[in-house]
This record gives sequence, structure tokens and C-alpha cells, in this order.
Amino acid sequence: MTDPLLLLLPLSLALPLVLAGLSVLPGWRAHSLAVLPLAPLPALAAALLAPRGAEMVFPDLLLGMRLGLDPVGVYFLGGAALLWTLSGVYAARYMTGKDRPGGFALFWNLVLAGNLVVFLATDAVTFYVAFAQVSLMAYPLITHDRSARALKAGTVYIALAVVGETALLLGLMLGAAEAGNSLMIADIRSAIAGSDARGAILALLIAGFGIKAGLIPLHVWLPVAHPAAPTPASAVLSGAIVKAGIFGLIAFLPFAAGVTGWGLALAGLGFSGAVLAALYGTAQTNPKAVLAYSTVSQMGLLMGALGIALIAEAPPGPALFAAALYALHHGLAKGALFLGVGVMQTSAGAWRKAGLALLALAALSVAGLPLTGGALAKIALKGAAGGLAELIITASALTTALVLARFLAVLPKAEPDARPPLAMLVPMGALAFAALLLPAILFTGAAGEDLAYALSLSNLFAGVWPLALAALAVIIVLRLKPRAPALPEGDLLIPATALGQAVWRGLAHAAHRAGTSLSALPRRLVPKGSFLVPLSALMGRVETRLGTAPAIALLAALLVIALVWSGLAPD
Amino acid sequence: MNALLPVLLVLSPLAPALISFALPARLAPWRNAANIGFALVKLALVVLLLQGVAGGAEYEWRAEFVPGLYLLLRVDALALLFVTLSTFLWLVTTVYAIAYFKDGPNLPRFFGFFNLCVMAATGIALSGSLITFFIFYELLTLSTWPLVVHKGDEKSMAAGRVYLGYTLAGSAALLLGIVWLESGTGPVKFDDATDLTAHSGDTLRLIFILMVGGLGAKAALIPLHGWLPQAMAAPAPVSALLHAVAVVKAGAFGIVRVIYDVYGIDIVAALGLGVPLAMLASATILYGSIRAVAQTDIKKRLAFSTVSQVSYIVLGASLVGPFAIIGGLVHLVHQGLMKITLFFGAGALAERLGITRIDQLDGVGRRMPITMAAFSVAALGMIGVPPVAGFVSKWYLGLGGLQSGEPWVIAVLAGSSLLNALYFLPLLYRAWLRPADALPSTDEMSADRPWMLILPAAVTAAAALGAGLLAGLSFSPLGWAILIGEDIYLP
Repeated sequence: MTDPLLLLLPLSLALPLVLAGLSVLPGWRAHSLAVLPLAPLPALAAALLAPRGAEMVFPDLLLGMRLGLDPVGVYFLGGAALLWTLSGVYAARYMTGKDRPGGFALFWNLVLAGNLVVFLATDAVTFYVAFAQVSLMAYPLITHDRSARALKAGTVYIALAVVGETALLLGLMLGAAEAGNSLMIADIRSAIAGSDARGAILALLIAGFGIKAGLIPLHVWLPVAHPAAPTPASAVLSGAIVKAGIFGLIAFLPFAAGVTGWGLALAGLGFSGAVLAALYGTAQTNPKAVLAYSTVSQMGLLMGALGIALIAEAPPGPALFAAALYALHHGLAKGALFLGVGVMQTSAGAWRKAGLALLALAALSVAGLPLTGGALAKIALKGAAGGLAELIITASALTTALVLARFLAVLPKAEPDARPPLAMLVPMGALAFAALLLPAILFTGAAGEDLAYALSLSNLFAGVWPLALAALAVIIVLRLKPRAPALPEGDLLIPATALGQAVWRGLAHAAHRAGTSLSALPRRLVPKGSFLVPLSALMGRVETRLGTAPAIALLAALLVIALVWSGLAPD
Repeated sequence: MNALLPVLLVLSPLAPALISFALPARLAPWRNAANIGFALVKLALVVLLLQGVAGGAEYEWRAEFVPGLYLLLRVDALALLFVTLSTFLWLVTTVYAIAYFKDGPNLPRFFGFFNLCVMAATGIALSGSLITFFIFYELLTLSTWPLVVHKGDEKSMAAGRVYLGYTLAGSAALLLGIVWLESGTGPVKFDDATDLTAHSGDTLRLIFILMVGGLGAKAALIPLHGWLPQAMAAPAPVSALLHAVAVVKAGAFGIVRVIYDVYGIDIVAALGLGVPLAMLASATILYGSIRAVAQTDIKKRLAFSTVSQVSYIVLGASLVGPFAIIGGLVHLVHQGLMKITLFFGAGALAERLGITRIDQLDGVGRRMPITMAAFSVAALGMIGVPPVAGFVSKWYLGLGGLQSGEPWVIAVLAGSSLLNALYFLPLLYRAWLRPADALPSTDEMSADRPWMLILPAAVTAAAALGAGLLAGLSFSPLGWAILIGEDIYLP
């Protein structure tokens, strides 16, 4: 007899899917927004109540679907479910009166279902299916507005997502083959550690998950996609969806095996992203783009810590729990900040002051102000990382504080007397408070330390000095009012696109020179500048020149050879 | 009874063929009823056989048609995989074709040959010996020609000539291969291992090249694929059936039979033929995809996509190991479900909105939501996006490549996925995200909703989705392919 509470796991998947199915029915479309907050509730209940470590097997689904909840996954599942619930309340209000509510609800629920199953899957195929669901079904959310900017952001996003999915699939196939064709994530993880193809597998997995989690230089979709998406969708993108990438790294990387090379690479890329992205973010003018860079920075920190854990030979337990706590806190706080953008659009007077205070508190928590939830998450992460990494994490609070100060400075203004709708204000406040308080409840369990440890003098000092420096910098900026630089969203994307286009053009030119007449080609229907067009045209010309006859002649020649051969053959 | 069932199965399309030929055009409702009725009867027969074969029953029928030469029909798991697919898709295509043609000219001829073509495909599936296979294979070549040239215009006739040129040359090669092989081995039956010792290794290699080359003309292996994109001149239901079950699949199925039931995979590998064939299939996969990227005509793009996707089956069959053959066989079904959905969609677009080019697709998702939703599911499946069925094929083929020690296979699969995304996603983008300015309004569209044109695509798309979501069921295409794979590798 299975524990009835275990049924919460399949229910977590089933309810969003049912709601997704309903939202395409013409009669239901108008109501589909109102029920968005219900969809993640089974998952929330599962995070609180479902038994840990037990597994449910559905042999008929996919290649044998297995769902289970491990102690690290609980943090991700619970955090994501809470964020999705509150963002759902917000979305129900925010999206009312906008175009295509049914379409929004459909893809919201599909992404949600995938996002939750990423944290629940214990076999690689279910994991991959869920991960791909999140990646691809998020595209309609990002492009929901249909504005030119949203469509462009969507194109960047989908291109990276498809490449990421492909890399991930290759990595998982290689991993599964190394594990004797086992599909279990645990088997694959331990097989990777001792595999000959370890380097290739790790490269593919880190690329696949890194794209989702914003590992530089694969992060370029975040700063263009986050501002383009409707605000509640940005909140879950940044708060829950990028965490799917982090969770993927936690689930598949062979920790405790002393993987130096890729560990160093992950740590190096992660930590440099942590600093560079935050600095670049201070030069943004769109509040959601600022937050996107802050997310790249925070996830960089987290991946840096995971890189350190990959190098280490000690059991990874503490590092993974710390990472989970950090991800949980970041998801809630960042969710509050994103929702704040929409709230501030409709807040004036006292409402604005109260809202700003709340957002400032959430921002300080992300920067690790002592006594906030963020400080606890940071202490846990530092304790697990140690050494130089500890110093980097401490110092990164400075850049984090700066980028979030920039966020508060560029928040949108509202009409005088505007007051925010409760259905938008309450979710924002609830997320902010959850971010501030929840880590205090979870700290002992995740970090294995008393709360008192967090209050030790050295920890308080480590939390305060970067913020003091940041405050100093902010004061100087306010005094001197230097002209703020405005750098384009998407940083590396711009030179990368230019370079890419130049390379395509070069290849196209080469293919052209190889004997193709481009003029006859209806090029505009094909992705611009793709060298495949002239290449394909060349193939087409060869094919036409050869015509029908030679292919048949080839077969005829074969026949003649065969006949001659059979005449000469000794038998 | 066990001898009768395979015969009934093969003959069941003959009745509607004769009825279609005989009935005058004005009795079209009766013709349509007969077509759908017999398709349902055949489906019932298949269900009966599926239960029987799963329970271990054997079905075999033989008749001597020339002294010493037997016509042998035999139902094994592999045969049923192909028959089930063709029967199911025949039914939906019949429904679709009735709505597509409405009351156009020459329909008695069309439905007559349409049914003969299905009979030939069934015969190919059930053939228990090489010579039986060849007879039905030829019947297929001849009965599809009138379908390809159905419109009777210049373009169709040209396409028909090219088609016959390739396939008859292929048949000649195949026939020579068969005769030469059997001159040493005696009649080859599929159910027991052939004694190949009468031929030297080099002779066996040459015979293999002849047979696979001949079959490859239908399976559109490069450089023998030239007829397929031209055959696009045929009406949409014909393209749908040609690409999904009948012609290209007959070629691919034949290659599977030659490798596994004539030579045996171990001998193919020992002769050094498997890996080169896998490489040829891989080259076809990439070549077809690259060519598809530059097509501006929807059906042409789909045609090159078929060139690419059918070679997945050949790739799976030419690699040693259970995962590879399971991946290849399951793709036989999955590709059929997805590709027929795409062609149903392309046909409905042409029929209802006059859309044939990709740049005309802007906003069609708003006007034809069910058709385009089905089209989108199938296109995503072709790319390999889970949980649509194409992903399952890719997973098994990839693991199969690794299992047989050919890791480059997964790079081919990845490249193909990326190329598929490159040529399918722009279609979906136009259909769903571009404004529908050039199209008639929603009200005009909803005034005439031909359900028989819309539902078949929805049904096959749902089947493609279901085949992926419920792949673990023992009766899913994957479950059946695993049954076949285990039968080969775990005797």
C-alpha cells in the first residue's frame, strides 16, 4: 500500500495539465485566468507533506515515468510552487482585459507542469521531457505581447533553447549509454563519474543546463526575454524557470568525484558572471532588464559554488542543501521584485512609499543584509564553499547591492493618486515576506548550523561591509549625478549576432562562389543569411543537372556490373 | 482460420477497389460507404491478428503459383507493425480523401487504384518470402502511378515519368538481386535463416548492394531520391499516403527484411555492409534536411523532410544491436503518424485557403486552429520535441548508435534535430504569431468547416502525441517494436 500522500506527486502534474486543456475550450477561456493560482497547489502540498525518498512508478507513461521527491528537490519544488501560486494570483489580475487570456493560461499551465516535474522526475527521460516542455512552452509566454521587441526576444530565446535542448539530449544519451542504458538519474550520475567520455558529457550537460540558468556567455537570452514577457511571466521565468537549470546541474553532475577541469570551468564562468552581469546591469534603464542581469549574477554565484563542489572530493550534501536554500530564497525575492515592477506602475503617494520600502527590503535580502533570509542563504552557501569562493560570495554583495539600487532608481512612475490593485500588491508582499522569513525556518535543516551561528560577529561583519561600501557608492552617485551610461540589453548578443552574420555571409559567399546563382533563389523565406540556402541551392542544381537519367543510369550500371560479375564468378 | 486471416487481410482492399472501379460516378455515396466500410473491416481484422500474435498464434498461408514457387503470406510481429500502421492510416486517409475531392473528376479510377495500392502495401507487409515480396512490391509501383498522375496535367505526367523511371530501375536491380541470391540458396523465406554459404563474400556484397539499391529507390536514399520531391504534383491525400505508409515505407521495410530476415544482421555486419549503409542513411538524413531548408513550397519542404526522416529507419536497421532496430522500427510508425498529419494539414491549407507557399502562412493559426494545432504537434514531433513520438525514436536510435559502437550517430541525430527546427519552426512562427491580414475573416471561415478534412489530422496528431506519452504501454508502437527487437536479440 503506497502512502496516499505520495499521490500528491502525480497530482502536481495532472492539475496544471487539466487546467491547460480546459483553457483552450471556447466556453472556459474567459475563466481560465481566475483558476491560475489553483494549479500549483498540489505541488505546494507535496512539498510540505509528501514522503521523501519514496518513488511512484508509471510504467505506461513515456519510457516508464518515475516521480519522487528527494530532500534537496523539496526546496526547489516548494519554492517554485509558492512562487507560481502567488504569481498566478497576480497574473489573474494583471492579464485581465489583455489579449488572448486562453492562450496565456494554456502555456502558463504547460510551463508550470514541466517546471514542477523537473524537480520530481527520478528518471532521465521524464526529466528531459519536462525540461523541454519548460523551454519550448515558455516561448509563447515571452512573445505573448506580439510586439516587435517581444518577437525578437523570442527568436533569441528559442534559438538558444533549441541548442540547449539538443546539447542536453546528447549529454543524457551518452550518460544513459555509460550507465548500461539505465534511465535512472542516480545511475547516470554515478556512471558519468567513472566514464571515459566524462569530459564530453559534462560539457554537454553544463552547456544545456547553463543556457537555462544563465551561465555566461550563454546568458544572453535572459536580459532580452525577461523585459519582453508579461510581468508575472517574467517573475516565474526568473524565479522558477532558471532554477530548472540549477536543479539539473545538482541532479546530474557527479559531485564528490574530484572533477577538477570542468569544476574549475563552471566555478570560473559562474563567479565571473556573478560580478560582470551585476556591473553591466547597473547600466540598464529598463527595470526588468536590470533584474534580469541581477538574476544572471545570482545564478552565476550559485553555479560558481556548484563548480567548487564539483572539484571537491568531500560528500556534496552541505553544498547542495545550501544551493537549494539559496535558490529558494532567490526565487521568492526575485519574484517579489519582478512583481514590484507592475505594482509600481500603479502606485503613487503613500502606496508608493510602502511599496518601495518593501522592495528595498527584498533587494537588501538578496544582497545579504544580516538578519534577512538572504543573509542566511548566503552564509549557508559560503560555509559549503569555503576558501577563495567564500570571499567572492561575500564581496559580490557589493555588486548585487549596486545593481538592485539601480533597479529601485529606474522603477516606473505612476499617475498621481494611483493605487495598486490588492490582487497585485498582496502577492508581491507575500513573496517578499516569505523571502525574508522562510530561510530562518529552513536554515538549520539546510546548513546544519544553529541560527546563532548566523549571528556571530564575523558573519554579521561579512554581511555588512559590502553593503556599507555600496551605500557609500550610492551616496556618491546621488551627490555627483554623473550621467549614467545606458548599455544595450543583451550585451554579448550584439557582437555575437554581428559575428554570426559575418560568418554566415562568408560561408554563403563561399558557397556562392562554388557555383551557385543566388538570384534565382527566393531567399527571404529562409532564415536570413543562412549559408544553408546557397548550399542547398547548389545541391539542387547538381540534382537537376544530374536529372533523372543518371540516377537510373547508376542503377543500370550496377546491373551491368552485377551481370558481368555473376558471369565471371567462380560459383 | 489461421490460414484464412492473412488472405482476407490482403484481399480486403480488393473489394472496395473493384466496387470503386465498377460503380458509376453518380453513385459516389455508395462508393464512399464501401471504402470506409471495408477500411473498418480491415481494422477489425488487424485487431484480431494483434491479439493473436501477442498471444503467440501463428498465421500462414501458401499457394503454389508456378511449380516450385510459392506465394507465402505470413503474419509476424514485424509484418503487423507495418500492417497496423497502414490500416489505420488508410482509414483516416479515406475519410480525408472523400472530403478533399468532393465530386472531382475521375474519382472511380482514383479510389480503385488507391485501394489497390493499399492492398499492395498489405501484401508487402505480410509477404513471407522474397518472391512474394517482390510481386507485391511491383504491384505497388504500378498501382501508385495512376495516383501520382491523377491530375493529368503536364507537371503530374512528368512527375509520373520520373517516378516510373526510378522505381522500375530499382525493381530491376531488386529482381536481379533476388534471382542471383536464390540461384545459390533456393527460395528465401523470411522466417528461417538463409543458408548463404553457396555464395562468396564478394558476391553476397554485390547482391546486397543490388537489393538495397533497388529498395533504396523507393526509400529515397540519396542519390536515388530525385523522384520524391517531384511526386509532390500528386493530390494531397496521395502525398500523405505515399510519404507516410505506402511507397517510401515499402522501401524501408524491404531493407529491414533484407538485413534481418534475408542476410541476418550479424552477416551484414561481418560483410562490412552495415556501417557504410548507416553512413549513407546519415548522409541522406542531413542532405534531405539541408535541402528542405531552402524550399519555399510547403509540400516540397515536407517532401525533403521525408527523404531525411525515412532514412532514420534505414539507419536503425543497419546498426547492430537491439536499441538501433527498435528505434528504426518505431520510427516507421512514428514518422508515418507525424508526416501524414503534416500532409493532411498542407492539403487542408491548399483546399480551404489556397495556401501552398510558406510565405502565405501568416496568421493561419487563427483561422484554422485545429488543423494548425495538429500540424504544430507533428512538426514539433519531427524536430524531436518530447513528449511527441519522434523523441522516442531519436532516443532509441541514439542509444542504438552508442550501443553498436558508432558514437557519430548521435551527432547526426543532433544535426538533424537542429535542421528540423530550422525548417519547421519558421512555419509555426508565421502561422501563430504573424497577423492574419491577408486571410478571410474568422466568420467566413467558420461558415464552412469541412470536418472530414479537419478531423483526420487531429486524430493522427493525437496518435503521434499518444504514441510518445504512452510509449510504455505494451501495445504502443514502441512496445511492439521492443517485442520485435527482443525476438531478434533474445531468442
